[in-house]
Amino acid sequence: MSASDPTVPALLRGTARRLAGALAVLLGAATVAFAALQLIPGDPVTVMLGPGTAATPEVKAQIRAQYGLDQPVLVQYLHYLGRLATGDLGESYQLQRPVADLIGDQLLPTVQLALAALALALVLAVLAAVATAGRRGPARTAGSLAELLAVSSPSYWIGILLLTAFSFQLRIFPVAGDQDLSALVLPAVTLALPLTGVLAQVLREGLETALGQPFALTARSRGLAPAAVLLRHALRHAAASAVTLTGWLTGSLLGGAVLVESVFGRPGIGALSLQGTTNKDMPLVVGLVLLSALVFVAISTLVDLLYLAIDPRLRSR
Amino acid sequence: MPRTGPRPLPLLAALSAGTLLLTACGSGGTGPAADSASATPVQGGSLTYATDVEPISFDIHVSQQDITGAIQRNVFDSLVHQDAKGEFQPWLATKWEIGPDLKSYTFTLRDGVKFTDGTPFDAEAVKLNFDRIVAKETKSQYAASLLGPYTGTQVVDPHTVKVTFSEPFAPFLQAASTAYLGFYSPKAIKENGAKLGAGGPADVGTGPFVFTAYTKGQSAQFSRNPDYNWAPADAAHQGPAYLDKLTIRFLTEDSVRLGALTSGQVQVAEPIPPASVKTVQGDPKIKLLSTDAPGANYALVLNTSKAPLDDPNVRKAVQRGIDLDTDVKSVYFGVYKRAWSPISPTTPDYDKSLENSWPHDKAAAEKALDAAGWTTRDDAGYRTKNGQRLTLEWPLPPAEFVREQRETLGQAIQADLKKIGIEVTRPRLDIGTYIKNVYGGQEHIADYSWARFDPDVLRLYFNSASQPAKGGQNATFYKDAQLDEWTNTGKTTFDKVVRKDLYTKTQQRAIDLALIVPLYVRTAVVGQSAQVHGLTADPNTWLNFHDAWLGQ
Repeated sequence: MSASDPTVPALLRGTARRLAGALAVLLGAATVAFAALQLIPGDPVTVMLGPGTAATPEVKAQIRAQYGLDQPVLVQYLHYLGRLATGDLGESYQLQRPVADLIGDQLLPTVQLALAALALALVLAVLAAVATAGRRGPARTAGSLAELLAVSSPSYWIGILLLTAFSFQLRIFPVAGDQDLSALVLPAVTLALPLTGVLAQVLREGLETALGQPFALTARSRGLAPAAVLLRHALRHAAASAVTLTGWLTGSLLGGAVLVESVFGRPGIGALSLQGTTNKDMPLVVGLVLLSALVFVAISTLVDLLYLAIDPRLRSR
Repeated sequence: MPRTGPRPLPLLAALSAGTLLLTACGSGGTGPAADSASATPVQGGSLTYATDVEPISFDIHVSQQDITGAIQRNVFDSLVHQDAKGEFQPWLATKWEIGPDLKSYTFTLRDGVKFTDGTPFDAEAVKLNFDRIVAKETKSQYAASLLGPYTGTQVVDPHTVKVTFSEPFAPFLQAASTAYLGFYSPKAIKENGAKLGAGGPADVGTGPFVFTAYTKGQSAQFSRNPDYNWAPADAAHQGPAYLDKLTIRFLTEDSVRLGALTSGQVQVAEPIPPASVKTVQGDPKIKLLSTDAPGANYALVLNTSKAPLDDPNVRKAVQRGIDLDTDVKSVYFGVYKRAWSPISPTTPDYDKSLENSWPHDKAAAEKALDAAGWTTRDDAGYRTKNGQRLTLEWPLPPAEFVREQRETLGQAIQADLKKIGIEVTRPRLDIGTYIKNVYGGQEHIADYSWARFDPDVLRLYFNSASQPAKGGQNATFYKDAQLDEWTNTGKTTFDKVVRKDLYTKTQQRAIDLALIVPLYVRTAVVGQSAQVHGLTADPNTWLNFHDAWLGQ
């Protein structure tokens, strides 16, 4: 590719547009988070300390001054944006540590959990969809029922059931924590099951639609085995909608992680979010909101790129 | 009359962990006293303890959380020790002298005590810690209030400190016995002062355990302090702890915590929810240890400044109209006892004579309402006066602050009061509105408990100076010269007879005036595997792992 290649400026423009879009999303998320925290009724310091505090008015005043909560809202907002612009997420009110460090420490266990769950869900969903697509009969019905059950059961309940069976009764996996790989199995399965249910349903429907298309008939008439048609042609078609959905579901993994991490006593962003929200720890909550926005932007970019890989027609544009 | 010097140790030398337990043991539990007394303790081993709350901040000088004190008690010692009877015993201070005006306390410090980083514990360390607690930058949410009218600490010599106050301050010894007035190594404060809340190895104390690691959202780890040799005299043994390692796991989900215990993945779990106590009792591999919590019982605090609760007859009707015996028993499966006094039976100076003095009496409640003029009824069956329905608003705090199935108990209370014609509404408020309304005296009823091993908690609840807006707990908003005088005097005397008299009168008057409806006595139920021995709970219901050991 030479410098005179006309696609390069287009690519740069596209990248610039994407970056500007990402920044706009982040700014929007930061502003909404700030506004939401302003809208909580009551004195922010009192809210933060919670009911049943023995803190004197002097201590409250000290906290208020230190975090600039005694300033006008607009000044607070501008300060806040200024700090964010320099990459400073501030210090947690309650944990007395920089928010960036807190998130950094807790990110890895959650990423591990989310990736493991996602991989597991994809494998299970593809297997289930391929095995049941285009078929009728009890296997198909059983598969659909299992998917429905997986989608509609609350994840913490699935987690407790799995724990009761595999940890408390059979004692195969440890109850909780992040010591080794065996402790990752149950939480990952818990998080993966509802995902699998949704993905398998969408994939199967995509597969069945694709199999009914003329190209499938053509391929079969060329003597290709039904399995090969399914795997080589139909799956690629069905994948497009599944990728969109996976992107969206990955974003929702953080929400699922809150419950799963709390049930299994695992460290991670989920547990941190829960603590941050419960304690109205504003800098922490804002940091986590920004992280979610960042993950969302990254995933939607990734999904766009995956489209290019899956569907060659998009590349020629 | 103020006393000087430490009290003698009457029974204490003879008190074993076993007898201590018996005095602290509530109903419904089987203490491990017998087996631990007969067997020989085993050195070594690693014990895992699962609890339901994770500390927000580990800094004992900042945090107001019970869990912070309970966990850090293993790492931090205090100047004095309060025994199961409420008496003060030597600990890091071998003796003390109290100034005749109760404005100064001079402590003689124990020799040879070292922080786990090697720094010696001395008068400078005491001064540095107390000064840190009251410093504005520390933003102490609790410890500073324990130091009250603190004016400073004087280093008399390396082993003597004098702590002074601007006014007489009798609660100081009790405060000094809590983990919140424990001591960080001066080196730790200098090097990591701002990071102590984050837990882990930065938290250096003199206690039987060393804080070795903390993984947020998962666990905190402790190892034995091999040099520890300064346990209070009533400890079951002197010298280092038996356990090599102590791990605290944070398992918020009740069923998961219980499953981890019954499947042997943790050796100690707390709390065991009342609904599960029966199940656990049937398991031969599990023992239960129950301790009634000290301090103010969970109660309805009636706002006397707001009509119709400004009428003592209406308050009386609420007090007598609730069938507490039935409600508490059915909601808590007989594990929690119903309460009779504002303070719990394990709190010093508890007035036993209040028991059975105000039983459920529907007829008496109805009569009181008639006397108050609420004689007519509306279509829904609620009482009315001048066309107004008798309605009491009792807001629900945000869900995360509701524990122990208090909502269910609330529903039973609502149903009871409906029977006598009182409507109770329970709007769910967000935390900001809740604090503003309840602490601002705009709601009829508030509900809370307050753990403290001292009847001075009665001052917090009933003294008119203890305003909720200023960190006090008097949401009755009642101003009573008698209650003020008694609780103020109680705060400034060490005379046992006088205190007993004052606090008995305070409890009785609070009930007579129907300022409060005590509901139940919180009982801490700890489940432990049969291989755990010697584990005891202190008067705060905090577990003491120094004497614990693992058998088999």
